[in-house]
Parts: sequence; structure tokens; C-alpha cells
Amino acid sequence: MNIDHSKPLEYSTETNDLNIIGFWVFIGAEIALFATLFAAYFILEGRVADGPSGGHLFVISTLMIQTFVLLTSSFTIGLAVNAMRLGRKGATIGFFIITLILGLGFVGVEIYEFYEYVHEGLTLQTSAFSAALFTLLGTHGAHVSFGLFWGIAIIIQLAKRGFTPRTANKTFIFSLYWHFLDVVWIFIFSFVYLKGMM
Amino acid sequence: MRELFPAKQVVGFIASLVLTVIALLVYFIDMSFQLGMIILLLTAFTQAGLQLVVFMHAGESPDSDSIYVNTYYGIFIALAIVFGSLLAMVWGY
Repeated sequence: MNIDHSKPLEYSTETNDLNIIGFWVFIGAEIALFATLFAAYFILEGRVADGPSGGHLFVISTLMIQTFVLLTSSFTIGLAVNAMRLGRKGATIGFFIITLILGLGFVGVEIYEFYEYVHEGLTLQTSAFSAALFTLLGTHGAHVSFGLFWGIAIIIQLAKRGFTPRTANKTFIFSLYWHFLDVVWIFIFSFVYLKGMM
Repeated sequence: MRELFPAKQVVGFIASLVLTVIALLVYFIDMSFQLGMIILLLTAFTQAGLQLVVFMHAGESPDSDSIYVNTYYGIFIALAIVFGSLLAMVWGY
């Protein structure tokens, strides 16, 4: 393996470069995936049938908690990559763990929120609006949940093997994934919740 | 300790919080739907750009041109899907 020491470890081999650009291509596909879910939601958001509407259901307090938690986790995973470039293994793992705890908090609040919705009479089958809403929020929540398991696996590898071109590459790619989920949340926050409550 | 909190990322984080607070004004202040949507569009896309450049290091990869082209293409597809669907299904043209 040809390691170029003039570059950060995550870019130091050709395979690593290709992994990173490959992941960006995947993010491009994810943008299209979420675009279709947003389009379906925007078309169906008025079709509430006999169920409650978004303006009736959405709560500002849980929304603010979720947004703050996810924005902070996006910041801490950025700090983890920064610490990795400084060669600080302990700090990298520490920031990584904080990120995953915040991610877990986000998923927890989202599950609580879904529980409340069901109590208010909004289930997946209630209306076209509810189906589109749960599909959009659920797809994002499933991505975050998947990220929790993926992140734990990378932390274990970092702890066992330290910084190698492979583990550094995986950590960096995970940070791309996590920031991307934050971007998707910003659009859900703006155009599902705030638009619905306006 | 200080090198663990680089200024660029701290400023990026504070900017993302400020943008979030501005977006929340749409809820807390009484305003027209149009004005609210303009504010949300501006804050959301600024926020997305911020994440892309500050946190995702999109510019520093040796393949940054390809990454930007791929991302712009993804955004184009997203806008075409969303506004194309709205045009055909909601706005009724």
C-alpha cells in the first residue's frame, strides 16, 4: 500500500481517496432519495382526512431539542475529525462517543414524539399526510439509528487498531454521513415543522 | 486543549445556531406565509452550504471538483423533483 505522508491519513492512499469520492456519490443518491420523500410530503401534507394536521400536532419544544442536539452532534463529529488529524486518539474517541450519545438522544426524542402522535390519533394509516410524514421522518430517523451502530463499530476499531489509513478513512467517511443527516434534518426542521406551524 | 476546538469549526457551529434561531423567528413572530418561506429558504440553504464547506471539508479533497459537481448535480435533481412535483400536482399548471 502506497502511503503519502504529506496528506491527512484519511486521504493518504489511493483507495482512501476513492472511498471518499465514492461516498460523495452515495450522498448524491441520498439527496435524490430524500428529495422524493419531501416531494411526496409537500403534495400530500394537506390531505389529513379525519386525522390531525401538522399545525395541530407539532410541538416547538421537542423540535428545538432535536435540532439543538443534532447540530451539536454534527459539531462534535467535526471536532473528532480535527482531533484525528492532530493524532489525538483519546480526544477523537471522546468526541465520537459524545456524538453518538447526542445521536441516541435525538432518536429517543423522535421515538417519544412518534408515541405522542399515535396518542393524538395519527398513525401510518390515518391519512395521506400521516403516511408521507412518517415515511420522511422515519427514513431520516432510521439513517440516524443505523449511524449509531456504524459509529460504535468504528469506535471499537479505533480503540483496537489506533489511527491507520483504514480506520482514519472510516472515521472521516462516518463524519460525512453524520453531517449529511444534519443537513437533511435542517430541511425537515424548516419545511416540515416550521412551515407546518407557521 | 485549544487545538481541539479550531476557530473555523467553533464559528461554524455558532453560525449554525444563529441560523436556527433566525428560522425559529418564523414561529415566534407573526408574519406572512410568503415572508416566512423566504426566511426559511434562505436559512436552510445557507445552513446546508455551511455544513458542506466548513464541516464536510468538501473543498480540501484532491477530487474536490468532482465532489462539487456531483453535489450540485444531486441538488439539481432534488430541486427538479420537488418543484417539478409541486408544479404538476399542487400548483395546478
